[in-house]
Amino acid sequence: MPLYNFKQMHVVPSAAAFIDIVLSRTQRQTPTVCRSGWKISRVRQFYMRKVKHTQQTWHEALTQILEDFPRVDDIHPFYGDLLNVLYDKDHYKLALGQLNVARSLIDKLAQDYIRLLKYGDSLYRCKCLKRAALGRMVTLMKRQAASLKYLEQVRQHMSRLPSVDPNVRTLLMCGYPNVGKSSFMNLVTRADVEVEPYAFTTKSLYVGHMDYRYLRWQVIDTPGLLDRPLEDRNTIEMQSITALAHLRAAILYIVDISEECGYSIAQQAALFHSIKPLFVNKPVLIVCNKIDVTSMESLGEKDQKILTEMAKEAGRLGLSGAFLEHSADGYKGSLLSMTTLKEDGVMAVRNTACDQLLEHRVEAKMKGKRFGDVLNRIRVAMPNSGINPDRPPVIPSSVTQAQAMDEDNQKKTEKDLQEERGGAGVYSADFHKHYLLENDSWKYDIMPEIWDGHNIIDFVDADIDAKLEELQQEEEELLAKFERQRAQFGGIPELTAEERSLLEDIRARKAKIIADHRRAKAVADNRGVIPKKHNTDGSLNTSGMRRSLERMGMDPSLAVERARRQSRGRSADRSRNASSRAAGAEDEEMEDVPEAMKRVHSTKSRSMSRGRSLSLMAPKKGSGLKDVAIKNKALKMADRAQRRMNKLARRGEADRHIPCLRPKHLLTGTRGIGKNQRR
Amino acid sequence: MPQNEHIELHQKRYGYRLDHHERKRKKEARAAKERSRKARRLIGLPGKLYAQKLHKEKILMKKTIAMHEEKDKKRRLDDGQPQNAVPAYLLERDQADRAKVLSNTIKQKRKEKAGKWEVPLPKVRPISEQEMFSVIHTGKRRKKQWKRMITKVTFVGPSFTRKPPKYERFIQPTGLRMKKAHVTHPELQATFCLDIIGIKKNPNGPMYTSLGVVTKGTIIEVNVSELGLVTPGGKVVWGKYAQVTNNPENDGCINAVLLV
Repeated sequence: MPLYNFKQMHVVPSAAAFIDIVLSRTQRQTPTVCRSGWKISRVRQFYMRKVKHTQQTWHEALTQILEDFPRVDDIHPFYGDLLNVLYDKDHYKLALGQLNVARSLIDKLAQDYIRLLKYGDSLYRCKCLKRAALGRMVTLMKRQAASLKYLEQVRQHMSRLPSVDPNVRTLLMCGYPNVGKSSFMNLVTRADVEVEPYAFTTKSLYVGHMDYRYLRWQVIDTPGLLDRPLEDRNTIEMQSITALAHLRAAILYIVDISEECGYSIAQQAALFHSIKPLFVNKPVLIVCNKIDVTSMESLGEKDQKILTEMAKEAGRLGLSGAFLEHSADGYKGSLLSMTTLKEDGVMAVRNTACDQLLEHRVEAKMKGKRFGDVLNRIRVAMPNSGINPDRPPVIPSSVTQAQAMDEDNQKKTEKDLQEERGGAGVYSADFHKHYLLENDSWKYDIMPEIWDGHNIIDFVDADIDAKLEELQQEEEELLAKFERQRAQFGGIPELTAEERSLLEDIRARKAKIIADHRRAKAVADNRGVIPKKHNTDGSLNTSGMRRSLERMGMDPSLAVERARRQSRGRSADRSRNASSRAAGAEDEEMEDVPEAMKRVHSTKSRSMSRGRSLSLMAPKKGSGLKDVAIKNKALKMADRAQRRMNKLARRGEADRHIPCLRPKHLLTGTRGIGKNQRR
Repeated sequence: MPQNEHIELHQKRYGYRLDHHERKRKKEARAAKERSRKARRLIGLPGKLYAQKLHKEKILMKKTIAMHEEKDKKRRLDDGQPQNAVPAYLLERDQADRAKVLSNTIKQKRKEKAGKWEVPLPKVRPISEQEMFSVIHTGKRRKKQWKRMITKVTFVGPSFTRKPPKYERFIQPTGLRMKKAHVTHPELQATFCLDIIGIKKNPNGPMYTSLGVVTKGTIIEVNVSELGLVTPGGKVVWGKYAQVTNNPENDGCINAVLLV
């Protein structure tokens, strides 16, 4: 977790958006309906709430912004200076200060207007005051447009700053532009920094992380520096200077000894000497890069001397004697060479730098005040010298003997055999050899696992032999019993030839019936209904019936007659009856039939069965109608008068009439538990 | 961890999406339609605001166009400028048009004379007593009704002391007292927040003037020493009259126009 996280700052809205946000929030979060009929105190309270709410919303939003942005004086000086370099501290402070002033002005304004609202004597006046209050707040914030815009830009830039932790173990690269700082960074860490063959590719600080000695290290890549006075340096260079000045890191001063970067070794040394005040009390390494182009040995004597001087200076600056300050070869600890192109010597540089920094930090800690306190409490326990320091495992002698024995006459495994007879592929292991079976000849019997789709093992029964024996015994007994019976009854009687043929007939017929039934069943409901006249085999008509009955030895005549009689149509029956009735009344068979009634009307007439109609009835006495004709006429007239009314289907007096659909006494008033009709 | 200009770096390394430019072009082409659809669809207050925005844009565009066209227009030379080249020793001299200055002063004097009683707001709405005062019930049974509270903004001088409550007929509530006014100088077109010195006249009546009631149309005297106005005689003016142009009790502030 980085110490300074600028990524979580809230967005600073533009002035117009800010106003929209606040006003719409007021509109949404406060009541919106106010009536002129309300008590004036309620109206005042309604508008006061609006003013107060708006002020609170502004206050909260502005406080959020003011708290989000770090105060330049409070944060680590590295970040303080970085912010100053990047955004100009004065401008930054001014913008925040203006917002602060705006916030307090808004608070004061709201207070004033709430006081005025207390004297509001009408809805209109209250409303005007509210409007004026909100308007003045908005005007105040409109004036902050420039500050808000600036702060938003700063926020966006800050959120993209690398999160540098100023207190952890850090390696810091510096040097002229294009000497290979970023390439080194890419080799050492996973940070994917842009590397291009021109100066000032890196325009700001970059951070990468790596592991060394199970510790986490931070590597910082800085933009290149030019040798010029501090006042002339631009923003890009100032970032490097800030990092160099404030971070307690191991510094890798990278020198391009091939001079491909466009600066001679002498120039690079000059830069080193001009910025060396920044290196005091930090481990410094002079790293000669690009030795694939120019090797250290091929350098001129003058250049060699310059490098040695730099290294000596670095050793002197960096450490208090840990790295052989006083010896003649002291500089060698701080003069290293590498090539980032061929990746040669890179890891050595990294390791040296890390080791030096670690040592430096430990030393610094040892010098610190708190170290003594901690050291007092530390005790490293060493084991007592009286105990035997090397304690081998205890193995009983019997076990060792047994192991020795085993080694002598070891059993030959299949694997051993395989090795003996030509290795895998040549010799295949015999898995059947050591089967434990009753009979050794069974070992190589073929045993199918699956038989007819059944897994054999499912059907294996442990006591199958016993069961089989039992079954065989039972069968033998049955056979014996049968034999005995046969001997007792003297065998099956022989059939005659006639009987045999009959039997055959019966069997054939049975077979036919079954076949027919099956055929019929197969088609089932799909079968169409075949009319009787298409019944070709004649099984459904009387001749068929007769035939089958005769075959069974029965007299079919009565059955045939009955069937025929029942199948006659109704009309035929009637006509025959009528004709027979007409033809022979003397028929003796008809004697018990009763005498026919005298015919009054034709058979078609229904007049006898019908009741007398209204029109035939004589008018009632006292109705005022003389006779049937008059009465019928009156009826007709009444009908005609009604006809039009009926055609229109108007509501008449004969219709059902509900005088009141919703009786008031049943439907008004509050209802209790009882029923409606009880009210 | 993405840091610094990681987005630009990514674009530099991997380029844009294959259809990026196509989509961008289409989006731009569609923008006008979106705008017009929005203008048609939005109703109510959002619709009004959107229309206002479009109107402003249109005006801005027309102005810009006009500004560009101005270069091509032929203009007459200024009358005040000398027609011919002027020698170096005459460059500093301003051609002060004496006659013009004179006529200006005369005009101003005339104007002052004529407009002595001329004010920016010649007519005001009469305010009834009922509106101006609210009755305060006093006495133990709250049945005496002789006390009045002024419901408008008032100005009282720095040395003002209230009368004893028994005799105080009119109350000027402290919440409605104001000391400052936003005064606009009509010629400078600038507004200043100035101290009020006193009430010169309230058009609704002399009683209101004496009570110090400030309503729309009231003539107030303001302290203009900050403005640094000078009389023709060379003295610094410090008190000047101004007329109130708003309803202070509704706006919570006094706006006034300086009477010059």
